[in-house]
Amino acid sequence: MENNTSCLNQKLIFLKEITISVDGDSMAAEALFINYVPYIIEGALWTFGLVGGGLGLGFLIGLPIAIGQVYGGRVVKLILDVYVWFFRGVPLIVQLFLFYWGVFPAMGFKLSALVTSIMVLGFRSGAYQSQIFRGAIESVDEGQLLAARSIGMTKTQSIIHIVLPQALRIAIPGWTNEYAILLKDSAICFALGVMEILTRTRYVAVSLGLYFLPYLFAGILFIILTYGGTKIFNIIYEKVQIPGLVKGGM
Amino acid sequence: MTFWEEFLPALMSGVATTLKMLAIAMPASVALGILLGTLRVYGDRISSTVATAIVVTFRGFPLMVTLLILFFGLADFKIYLTPYWAAVLGFILCSGSYQSEYVRGAIRSIDIGQSLAARAIGMTKLQEVLYIILPQAIRRALPGISNELIYMIKYSSLAFVVGVQEMFAISKSFNYRYFRPIETFMTLAIIYLIMTTVATVGFKWLENKLRIPGLEISGR
Amino acid sequence: MGKEVVLRAEDIHKSYGRLRVLRGVTFDIRRGETKVIAGPSGAGKSTLLRCLNLLTMPDKGKVWLEDVELTNPSVDINKMRQRIGFVFQEFNLFHHLTALDNVMIGLTKVKKLPKEEALRRAKEALLTVHITEDLWHKYPAQLSGGQKQRVAIARALAMNPLIILYDEPTSALDPQLVGEVLQVMKELARKGVTGLVVTHEIGFALEVADEIMFMYDGIILEKGPPNEVVFSPKHEATKKFFEKIGRLYGERR
Repeated sequence: MENNTSCLNQKLIFLKEITISVDGDSMAAEALFINYVPYIIEGALWTFGLVGGGLGLGFLIGLPIAIGQVYGGRVVKLILDVYVWFFRGVPLIVQLFLFYWGVFPAMGFKLSALVTSIMVLGFRSGAYQSQIFRGAIESVDEGQLLAARSIGMTKTQSIIHIVLPQALRIAIPGWTNEYAILLKDSAICFALGVMEILTRTRYVAVSLGLYFLPYLFAGILFIILTYGGTKIFNIIYEKVQIPGLVKGGM
Repeated sequence: MTFWEEFLPALMSGVATTLKMLAIAMPASVALGILLGTLRVYGDRISSTVATAIVVTFRGFPLMVTLLILFFGLADFKIYLTPYWAAVLGFILCSGSYQSEYVRGAIRSIDIGQSLAARAIGMTKLQEVLYIILPQAIRRALPGISNELIYMIKYSSLAFVVGVQEMFAISKSFNYRYFRPIETFMTLAIIYLIMTTVATVGFKWLENKLRIPGLEISGR
Repeated sequence: MGKEVVLRAEDIHKSYGRLRVLRGVTFDIRRGETKVIAGPSGAGKSTLLRCLNLLTMPDKGKVWLEDVELTNPSVDINKMRQRIGFVFQEFNLFHHLTALDNVMIGLTKVKKLPKEEALRRAKEALLTVHITEDLWHKYPAQLSGGQKQRVAIARALAMNPLIILYDEPTSALDPQLVGEVLQVMKELARKGVTGLVVTHEIGFALEVADEIMFMYDGIILEKGPPNEVVFSPKHEATKKFFEKIGRLYGERR
């Protein structure tokens, strides 16, 4: 964390200035921790920025890839397969560093840690989401497409008006799972210094000399956010179900 | 010495460290996953609650947080794990918890007739679970378990945060010294790709080897 | 008759919620006898059978295997089940084991016999039900329904039980496979293997059963030699049932 060390030092000075002098007395440190809780929770904004941006970009990439993999020609499929293979097969942290220190600068872009993180999360999520959507599209009954074509729809129209509306509903549980995964992966972006939950927790922990409590708090915070988000998506899933249509598959 | 002459040997030692961590964490996580999954289905009140608590916690915490708690957090209580063992323990707890979900689902998908037949020939509950239910459930859970183990290969890169000198940590410090990010990280990326691809093929082969004709059909 | 009672059921009651399935069933079976339980669906026949080896716990009533009361909580039911064979409608062969292993596992793991002895007994049981060596190493999914059920019977036989309980053993089979299973059951009955069979196959009952028990609405309404109960029933319900079955299965005197 090269550039982070200097950031860290700045933050330490900042925190120490507003801290009443604590001489390593852990009980006092624990009591003091309460003051920093809002600071940590504020990180959730960045966390959601990462998750939202990643999910959104992933959707915009993943859906076309899925369509390409189901309906595309051999060359298209090959290119898409390679994309998916790369972005699923390489660890996130490696991708973050590769793009932040290597690829983007080499292409002439000076992107912030936050933007780079969102983009890499997006590329990656796109690869995973494409597989979710692909499975969903493939599980839509073939007869649906045939019926659409037989009333005169073009392939494109059939896909847009008939297959996708059903496939997207089927994909919701898998997509909800992707949300949970992205939420946890967002914590990895602390390695680039993005001011999300974990980065902030680390600053607090280092400056207080207290580690277990802050990290435990961060962990519980992540659990709450995961649970809450999943619940919301489940409610949406219920609301959006087509009456009477029991989609097996899982 | 050129960059490559310095980088590659160092990287290889990192690869060795990664492989050593995985060699322990992979089997241990599978064992933990089977244990937790079984306890959640068949355990008494206490053991099933404890198992559920473990699973909920380590599935809910990002792996990063788990690693930081094990290495830095436990130090608050004077428990000092080495970086290596903090990382390995973190992988086992995290992956084992995810795997236990697959095992649990697989156990519950075994039709009740198997249990009835086992009891009808006089097997105790323990014998039934050990000889009839688990052999079938583990086979059914295998795709999910292999999936998690492949994730472990990738997430092993996070061990750098507690100071383990594995593949990523080495690449990172090389990049800091020489500033050749594309060479450093692309090489690293390729190594991970090779590892995950080999593992995927390997697990598929294992699944085939253990296949029982007729067992994939659920509910039969 | 003088032969000892192998299984005795006394005043068995079972309800599921408000549905009273068994309303006081009492009977016994002596060594070497083959008895058949017949009756309309929902009369409680399968439930009764499962109460006999306590796979289902009766709400009230007692069951004895020879002189041991199974329903007594202090009895080791697992040990007792080793002496009762049970053949399920859905076979319930262990999916992950070959036919031979299915028959052997009770002998090695439950009875704790040495491997050679278990192997010998398993092979003997399989040959008794006409499952030849070429099928021994096949998995259940590779066998036909009739073969599966015969392996299931071998699995029960190999344990050397005092009695075999058959729960509608042919109901899940395609018609052309029913015969081979009934054939095995008839041979066992003639050899003197004590058996209690829940079935719709009245021909089987007429041929080898010592007694038919007609179950109706949770009790044994009538019982007696098959010829009598089927062709000269005393109750209206019995008469209606066997007439209908006769039409369905085309049984003749």
